[in-house]
Amino acid sequence: MKRYLFKRLLTGLLTIVIAFVINFLIINLAPGDPIKTLMGKESDDPVLRAALEEKYGLNKPLHIQFFSYLKTAMRGDLGISIIYNRPVADMIAEKLPATILLVLTSGVLSLIIGTAMGIVAARKEGTFIDVLFSGFSYILNSMPSFWLGLMLIIIFSTVLNILPTYGMTDARASYTGMAYVLDVIKHMILPVGTLVLIEIPMYYRIAKSSVLQVTNEDYILTLRATGMSEKKIFNKYIFRNAILPTVTIFGISLAYLITGVSLIETVFAWPGTGRLVLTAINQRDYPTLIGIYLIMSVSIAVVMIVVDIVYAILDPRIRY
Amino acid sequence: MDNVILDVRNFNVTYVNKYKKVYAVKDANFSINRGDSLGIVGESGSGKSTMAMALLRLLPEKSTEISGSAYFLGKDLVKLSEEELKKLRWKELSVVFQKSMNSLSPVHRIRTQVEDIYRVHNPKATREEIAERFIHLLKLVNLSDRVYNLYPHELSGGMLQRVSIAISLINNPKLLIMDEATTALDVVTQGQILDEVVKMEKEMDMTRIMITHDMSVVATSCNKVAVMYAGEIMELGYVKDVLKKPMHPYTKGLMASFPSLKGKKEKLQSIGGFLPDLSKKYEGCIFAPRCSSAMDICQKKPPVIEMENGRTVRCHLYGGER
Ligand SMILES: Nc1ncnc2c1ncn2[C@@H]1O[C@H](COP(=O)(O)OP(=O)(O)OP(=O)(O)O)[C@@H](O)[C@H]1O
Ligand code: SF4
Ligand SMILES: [Mg+2]
Repeated sequence: MKRYLFKRLLTGLLTIVIAFVINFLIINLAPGDPIKTLMGKESDDPVLRAALEEKYGLNKPLHIQFFSYLKTAMRGDLGISIIYNRPVADMIAEKLPATILLVLTSGVLSLIIGTAMGIVAARKEGTFIDVLFSGFSYILNSMPSFWLGLMLIIIFSTVLNILPTYGMTDARASYTGMAYVLDVIKHMILPVGTLVLIEIPMYYRIAKSSVLQVTNEDYILTLRATGMSEKKIFNKYIFRNAILPTVTIFGISLAYLITGVSLIETVFAWPGTGRLVLTAINQRDYPTLIGIYLIMSVSIAVVMIVVDIVYAILDPRIRY
Repeated sequence: MDNVILDVRNFNVTYVNKYKKVYAVKDANFSINRGDSLGIVGESGSGKSTMAMALLRLLPEKSTEISGSAYFLGKDLVKLSEEELKKLRWKELSVVFQKSMNSLSPVHRIRTQVEDIYRVHNPKATREEIAERFIHLLKLVNLSDRVYNLYPHELSGGMLQRVSIAISLINNPKLLIMDEATTALDVVTQGQILDEVVKMEKEMDMTRIMITHDMSVVATSCNKVAVMYAGEIMELGYVKDVLKKPMHPYTKGLMASFPSLKGKKEKLQSIGGFLPDLSKKYEGCIFAPRCSSAMDICQKKPPVIEMENGRTVRCHLYGGER
């Protein structure tokens, strides 16, 4: 296990470094010459150019440039937004918590709900509940997330008028303490609900097929032959074996959520990085965009490391 | 009669699905006395495992029909309630499955699984007690006690098969069914384990059903043999009688297709033709299409003919109307 942990952390680190390299290359390949921008359109003084190149280290070989980029990035310096004229790192740090809150909450909720539904459907295969859940999951699976979000807004806000649709807090009130928490939760219901509904089918399908498959394994037959109670067989043996694919899916789904949440954040005016991404794309704000992608890649790499380690804890066959 | 451990009468097993029925075991009759060891032989697909699984009541009820009776220690396994059955499972009646490579959960230690299995019937057993008992059994099947703390994937197929055998013995069952339990083992290990099993049987007062393709396994470790073909028991009797002088044409063919037990080099013969489609019902003798002694009367179902010494043969050659 120790060796596996070490290996996995190492490969994880490598992934992150590669993310940085790609990021760096994108900046370098981006059209436009920064020196020219600095010198202004008209002047073309080779002495000035050399001095500026010297000052910004642009005359150094590419790999030296990469390490100095890495050093500044590590210090939290991701450049300045050309639209807002503020440090990109500050802007991301401001928006990131809201996105993480949204992604983790909906990730965990859909994991629990989808998996529970899948297990129930598998245990009651062919019954009304199974048909109902499968139909529900099938319908959800074919819905675009933004459309589902809009429908929920229409139902719960426009018609029933019970849930807020906009932002993360009530802008007109300034709550503190418990009231603040409740206010945020109230604002979270619709965006989280949308994401959860969208993610449920994936967990449902995996959990159901995995439970069905494990139930037919020979070792379950052996346990039945021993007279062990169905409850114990399920709780200890089927569950533990059937949950493995779900762990993998959780990692993938979280990565998908991290990158795909922008749309839902826009629909619900959620003050997270998602909106930052969309504005940055619209306004060609490259430094911001690159900074956000870097953060996303790193978070996905971290999620994957954690998921793999959890998997290794659950499945001894992985710990080579 | 209290010498009889298992008495199977008019036993039928049919797999049922939407499109067809598969008559996998038809009208099986046999009984096993205390201390007996019955070998069931027959080519692949002849219904050996199906019979074992049905006796253990492990086939899904939805998709199988079982009829007849199977009295085990005086209780009919076919009709017993699930609760009653639970009391017998593993304590009196245990099994080693054909695919015993997969008969342990891959994500739990062998120790954990053994403890759980032992506690089904002995809920209060301590870990030490179980470990002691199981390590003793591991020795019997030639494994080191180190195995106890390992995960299944850390063992070879043959080792897993031996672990499965050890687990099946954990409660000193009255009847042990071994379905191809020694196939993954090399000849030497197989011999050793069979010797051990035979020895233990004497000590533990255990009776055994041994399902196998291998006539030599039957010859060395069983006292009775049932020859199955296409779901029917064709010949049944003491090993010493049947192997010395096979009567049913199928048994003869089966014997000829194995290397001579006495080590004489003979040309091996195979029986021509294939196993019939078990989803159809047949009027006459089911072996007729492949039988070189087939006669006109074989268009009619042959009766089970009883010979001396408890031997039965299902063939027109040995009686009934000619
Ligand atoms: N679930 C099932 N549904 C339908 N038919 C089945 C099912 N399981 C087995 N059968 C059929 O029943 C027959 C007997 O199968 P069984 O597994 O009992 O044979 P076997 O004698 O144990 O063979 P082997 O020596 O290969 O293990 C075969 O013809 C098989 O195709
Ligand atoms: S009954 Fe006839 S066909 Fe069947 S085995 Fe005997 S001789 Fe052959
Ligand atoms: Mg079989």
